[in-house]
Amino acid sequence: MTTIDLAPDHKAGLTLANPVMPAAGCFGFGTEYARLVDAERLGAVVVGPITARPRQGAAPPRTLPIPGGVLLHTGLANPGVAAVLRRHTRAWARSPVPVIVHVAGTTPDEAASCCRRLSSVEAIAGIELGLPDTSGGSTELANALDDATAIIRAACAAASQPLIVQLPLSRADALCEAAVESGADALTVAAPPRGTAWHASSGRFVTGRLYGPFVLPLALRALRRVAELVSVPLIGCGGIHTAEDGLAFLHAGAVAVQVGGALWRDPACLARIAGSLSSAVEPH
Amino acid sequence: MSKMAQTDALVTEVEESGPFARVTFATPAFRSGLAPGRFVLADLGGYLRTPLFPASLDTPGLEAGGFAVLVPPTHPAAVLRPGARVGLIGPCGQGFDVPTATRRLLLVASTAHLPALLPLAGQKPDSLERPGFSVALLLSASTAAELYPIQLLPPALEVHAVTIDGSAGHRGSVLDLFPDLVRWADCVCIADDPALYPALAEIVRDTRVGLGHRFAQALVAPPMACGVGACQGCAVPVVRGTRLACTDGPVFDLLDLR
Repeated sequence: MTTIDLAPDHKAGLTLANPVMPAAGCFGFGTEYARLVDAERLGAVVVGPITARPRQGAAPPRTLPIPGGVLLHTGLANPGVAAVLRRHTRAWARSPVPVIVHVAGTTPDEAASCCRRLSSVEAIAGIELGLPDTSGGSTELANALDDATAIIRAACAAASQPLIVQLPLSRADALCEAAVESGADALTVAAPPRGTAWHASSGRFVTGRLYGPFVLPLALRALRRVAELVSVPLIGCGGIHTAEDGLAFLHAGAVAVQVGGALWRDPACLARIAGSLSSAVEPH
Repeated sequence: MSKMAQTDALVTEVEESGPFARVTFATPAFRSGLAPGRFVLADLGGYLRTPLFPASLDTPGLEAGGFAVLVPPTHPAAVLRPGARVGLIGPCGQGFDVPTATRRLLLVASTAHLPALLPLAGQKPDSLERPGFSVALLLSASTAAELYPIQLLPPALEVHAVTIDGSAGHRGSVLDLFPDLVRWADCVCIADDPALYPALAEIVRDTRVGLGHRFAQALVAPPMACGVGACQGCAVPVVRGTRLACTDGPVFDLLDLR
């Protein structure tokens, strides 16, 4: 059987039997889709995001349909790392595929605190670290690099599992080399882009993550650029709705892909895409 | 109760029903799981699935199981034709929980939100199984022309109509008639504009003392992306934080809503 190692240089490694997994923020903590998704057919499941402390999340409205997609602003709602582990570790231990927990790395302390709690949990095969999206003018780039480096180093020092860093779409190429130098075993390219929509009935603007097929060309461009700059395993993520979409990321240099918003509308698409892509991967 | 499933349903009938289109689906997968206030997510062509609330759960002639929905003519389900297949995920959520001891059930709905309450409106009154049971409906619309036709409602249902312009029933707001009806009822189920809920809750608090849990239940259905609690996108503010409409609701205790 073809396998993919997302962390060939890590002592534990992170081996997948299939290149397809759900994206963070889309699959809950893994149990929500138990009746609709056969996890056994996937390469891994990515659960979370989680933070060190409980987060109530954003006030409604959180979900704004937009032409061709949706804007989602949850404010990282989650019960905090301690409660998440208490509620879900047993289910993760029974998972037929590796469980990767997404940590929202808002600060170095937060990232370290979460990763430290996760590091002793055998049921967790890998940690995906999300970085704050600080996209703005070029004058902020130096700060973004410093922030990202500090967060990744803190997470890396605290985690015992392989660390996958999820890059912000807008700065994937600018941050990828620093992420690898700071200890990332693999990179996810990329986090959902952010946008703003007007919510007429509440009379306010809502800024959040964007999901839809329109994200694919943006993420694919970012992944091709990152593939030129670094040599760690890459996970393609953004706008994947079909096996052909996933294949495009594999052709661009990814060894695995994550499916996000598409699974909300069609949970069965995960297994379909996994079935189609399983024959397309080569050993890393 | 049937397990959640992703399945296809066959559209067996589409007909006009007052201001709505009545669309009937045959789907063996949801034979026993749907209940008043629960919903299915339907793939009707948009990026997100559309929640559909059953307006009827006893569809004659559908031995394999089925349900009907009432949707406005502009709704994407209204253009479906018999023979079409529609992808569904469900049954989802927590529906209305009417205690078996209930004898005086009050339903409150604007015409636009009425379909989700219709399965409760059709319950058999004063039967051997539930002696003395009766159902009243406080139904509102802007004008008589927009009011759901009373003749299409179950004959045993006691209807209190309210229109803003007074062209049918009481002239004014549901808030005018709600206090007296709340005194009469021993269970209240509401499907209306959530902006109205704080005022309804205040009346319930002022009118009734020593209320049981879920004396008044209200349906809240914001846009829902996943329907299973994974995306955290359908938060509803409640007294102690937020809950998710798709898994904790969409029916909540009116007095818990914020």
